[in-house]
Amino acid sequence: MSENNNIEASQQETNDDEIKSGFYEIYVMGKRYKVPIGMTIMKAIEYAGYQFIRSCGCRAGFCGACSTVYRKEDEQKLNFALACQTLVEDGMYLVQIPFVPASKAKYDIDELKPEENTILSIYPEIARCVSCNTCTKSCPQDIDVMMYIQNALRGNIQKAAELSFDCIQCGMCAMRCPADIKHYHVGQLARRLCGKYLDEKSENLKVRLQEVLDGKYDKEIEELMTMDPDKVIEKYKSRSIEAAEEGKA
Amino acid sequence: MAITEALGHKLIEMEKWNCCGVVASLTSDDLMHHLASIRNLIHVQDEGEDKVVVLCDMCTNTLKQTNLRVTESQDDLETLNEFMDKENEYKGNVTVIHFLEFLRDEVGFDVIKKKVKRPLKGLRIMPYYGCMLLRPAEVAIDDPEEPRILADLIKALGGEVVDTPYKIECCGSYHTIDQKDVTSKRAGKISTFGVDRGADCIMLSCPLCKYNLDTRGKEAESLIDGYHQIPVFYYTQLIALALGLDMEPLDLEGHAVDPIKILKERGIV
Amino acid sequence: MKIIEGYPDYMYESIKKVEETRPSRVGVIPKGMTLQEREEVLTKFHPDFMDGTRREVRFGPNKGELIYKGIVDLLEARPLIDPKKVDLDKVDYDVDVLIVGGGGAGTVAALFAHGSGVPVDRILITTKLRHGDANSMMAQGGIQSADRPEDSPSLHYLDIYGGGHFTNNPKLAKALALDSLKIMKWHEDLGVMYDREDDGNFLELSGGGTCRNRLHCAKDYTGMEIMRNIRDQARNLEIPVLEFAPVIEFIMDDSGTVSGAVVLNMETQDYCIIKAKAVILATGGDGRLHLEDYATTNHYGATGDGLIMSYHVGANLRDLDTMQIHPTGAAYPEAIVGFLCTEKIRGLGGQPVNKDGELFVFPLEPRDVESASFIRECRERKKGLVTPTGMPGVWLDTPMIDVIHGEGTIEKNLAAMVRQFKRVGIDMVKNPIFVYPTLHYQNGGVEINENCETAVPGLFAAGEVSGGVHGKNRLMGNSLLDYNVFGRRAGINVAEYITKRTVGKLTLSHVDKYNKTLDDLGIDTKRRAPIILPEYRGKEALARALDIL
Repeated sequence: MSENNNIEASQQETNDDEIKSGFYEIYVMGKRYKVPIGMTIMKAIEYAGYQFIRSCGCRAGFCGACSTVYRKEDEQKLNFALACQTLVEDGMYLVQIPFVPASKAKYDIDELKPEENTILSIYPEIARCVSCNTCTKSCPQDIDVMMYIQNALRGNIQKAAELSFDCIQCGMCAMRCPADIKHYHVGQLARRLCGKYLDEKSENLKVRLQEVLDGKYDKEIEELMTMDPDKVIEKYKSRSIEAAEEGKA
Repeated sequence: MAITEALGHKLIEMEKWNCCGVVASLTSDDLMHHLASIRNLIHVQDEGEDKVVVLCDMCTNTLKQTNLRVTESQDDLETLNEFMDKENEYKGNVTVIHFLEFLRDEVGFDVIKKKVKRPLKGLRIMPYYGCMLLRPAEVAIDDPEEPRILADLIKALGGEVVDTPYKIECCGSYHTIDQKDVTSKRAGKISTFGVDRGADCIMLSCPLCKYNLDTRGKEAESLIDGYHQIPVFYYTQLIALALGLDMEPLDLEGHAVDPIKILKERGIV
Repeated sequence: MKIIEGYPDYMYESIKKVEETRPSRVGVIPKGMTLQEREEVLTKFHPDFMDGTRREVRFGPNKGELIYKGIVDLLEARPLIDPKKVDLDKVDYDVDVLIVGGGGAGTVAALFAHGSGVPVDRILITTKLRHGDANSMMAQGGIQSADRPEDSPSLHYLDIYGGGHFTNNPKLAKALALDSLKIMKWHEDLGVMYDREDDGNFLELSGGGTCRNRLHCAKDYTGMEIMRNIRDQARNLEIPVLEFAPVIEFIMDDSGTVSGAVVLNMETQDYCIIKAKAVILATGGDGRLHLEDYATTNHYGATGDGLIMSYHVGANLRDLDTMQIHPTGAAYPEAIVGFLCTEKIRGLGGQPVNKDGELFVFPLEPRDVESASFIRECRERKKGLVTPTGMPGVWLDTPMIDVIHGEGTIEKNLAAMVRQFKRVGIDMVKNPIFVYPTLHYQNGGVEINENCETAVPGLFAAGEVSGGVHGKNRLMGNSLLDYNVFGRRAGINVAEYITKRTVGKLTLSHVDKYNKTLDDLGIDTKRRAPIILPEYRGKEALARALDIL
């Protein structure tokens, strides 16, 4: 493609000074490759020559694009991780899941009420939960998934929202659930209901918004906009900084 | 909790629990549906306790059946423990009792009688047991054919017992969801026996039975000519009234069939 | 070399010094720099001011101006398509509003376009990766809005303008400050779970260059919380999204108005033609160009495509002689080099400390000043450390946060960070983290006015790809605000614009013209642009690659 700096790959190649130097063997969908120690799964796969189209998003653990299922040599247990966040291990046997065909309910948040049955009525399948906990074990973010589904089932919207907060919607839970629950969509609904109906509203915002709509600050800002450049600089320099004064830096 | 305290005992609320799944596995090779129950028993273990008092009849039944299953079959217990590889192992040492058993066996109905401040004098109560506390026999908390635990409780509280042959018939259970007329007619049949024998109200222990007899029972009034549903009390409501505890948490206004009128008539409130 | 608590022994020794000086540093706030001191450190150490980082553009609306070399290289590269080989007669999608980019700005624009009356089936979002794969999803620190009584939008305006070194378009800065309140109300109604005080008012923190505490956050997942919420809203409305479908060139009509785009299906390698009455450009940033060899915090698809395609149709760019390096990108261990360590760490009290445990700068200078100071500390004062893989850096004393606010503060407020570092063997509650500036944000971009119009009719822009809002330097918390404020304006204005538009005959003649300009200047290169994805395949594997399939 283009002549860009191959920054990330080149930094990985100078690993000889690292404590452990050398290479690990990993298996990408069954094919064996040698990759330098100290790389994330994502960078290791690229090192081996793959260019990601799917299975690569933010590269920093926020978007859930790079869900990876792997097994370690001699082990039978399947593990779940994000490729961009997990270091390769010797004998790692892996595959990536770029997409989960999960159904999502369509709803109008403005028409819903934050009642005990609301989430159940939108996602009735949560009643099929058998508490097998497979979802929790599949989560790369250490979320207690079963618990937030249980709380959604009980109508405890607040708790479901809290417990599911760190969810990056990678879909591993939904893929593995024997009851075909779509946990991350349920969590999203819980959080929206909580944020909209259960969290207290900001009085300050209400007041300030009305002031803005009434044009209270228009004149001040117009003045700043048309002011002599030196005067603006003066104004800027003479601002009192709240953080410095409070010692809250 | 208030009742327990008033009787001089202490119960600790569980920190972590999950839905019991309702209705334990009915086939011998389905272990999956025992998971939810076992998980709760592990939670009890994790909190360092070995006995759990359960408020719901259906939960009691499910937890007891599962507990029995795994204590009788070491293989099943091992399989379940191995599946739950991230959780602590269930050792099989937790005892499951229903709140009624707690009141009968650990507190004692005579103790309750002594602490009654407002005896339910003149209130004619029909005890209704339903299914879950009595069947199957291996987990029953009383005689499955001739239970007396609710009747004994009523007497301890100062009320009059109205015995009926339908006290152990099923209320219709989950048919309330998609065949609610079935449960309404059941409520009608069950309550009519009581009404014919002069009962003022019904006392029961299962939340689902209460819903079916109270809410569906009220709906039966439009299905059966001339039928009137009598009020339905949850046993803890009547205990609280008799012990003179705060009435607010009882939510007597929330019933489908108004219970306050009869309580007033009998001079209890 | 031994590893102790995740760090090589020599770095761990430095950590011991940091621990020793910690008690004496509690509550200490060094003086902020004067404007002159700021200028000094910037001029000597920030790539925006150093020689050799930028070069002159030779043609087009920005002819004669200085822009970062990496970007100019792409402006001077050949377009991807050959107009002769593209069949414009077969239109695959005929819509009113084409939104290029499925990140924050694109989604907000779609929601407001629909809210202003454009039917859902007349809107189309095309995006390079998946809906939500964007820098918007990754933002951690917060979103600014002047809602407290002790604060005012005028102060916010001053912060924006001064932080931008007084080069911002004042009308855009004004829109940013005033519209922020409308955005916060919109978020409340959508159900975004911001952190709140007990009385329901937002919990607000300070950020670099802000004179009042006005950063609203949702733990340290602010960007994610907003993005997944608005994405859920878009999905509920069933706004169509084409994923893995980057736009590779705009289409114009015979009146010189942008009227659609050529889109590449990355998986099947075929193209499709989209005809649209208006195009909203929301392609985000360019961190993956790795300008000046910096690592980056940006997502995989941030390759500045929007800048290139806009230049092809004659839009002008501004402030691309700057790039925002975020002072605290992770610098150790190797696996996470470049990762964003949110400014919130400094907002909560995490101090920048050199290898001897000395606090060497006011923690909350505007980003470019802060970055330049870190670079100075390493390069000139030689008080930084170097990792075993050659990455320089200084410490960010994270344990100080729990000392000030109590045990558990870090775990509660910086959950994402704690998790990231734990995954690579570092406990940031117990030990400081190692940081160095990393390429983070495109301050400038395609110039817009307060209605999000660019210089080219039919082409609107919003979000990181646009220029003028932040001038030459953006403050923390204003980029989340930027995409919301201007995504909203773009959506609303486009809804009106399309009512007066009929699309003429579609053409790609601008591509021919562009090629001719390059020919006339004698620019002979194999380079093509936009680049779509960065090249990260291992050098050894690439050396033996055969382009057969």
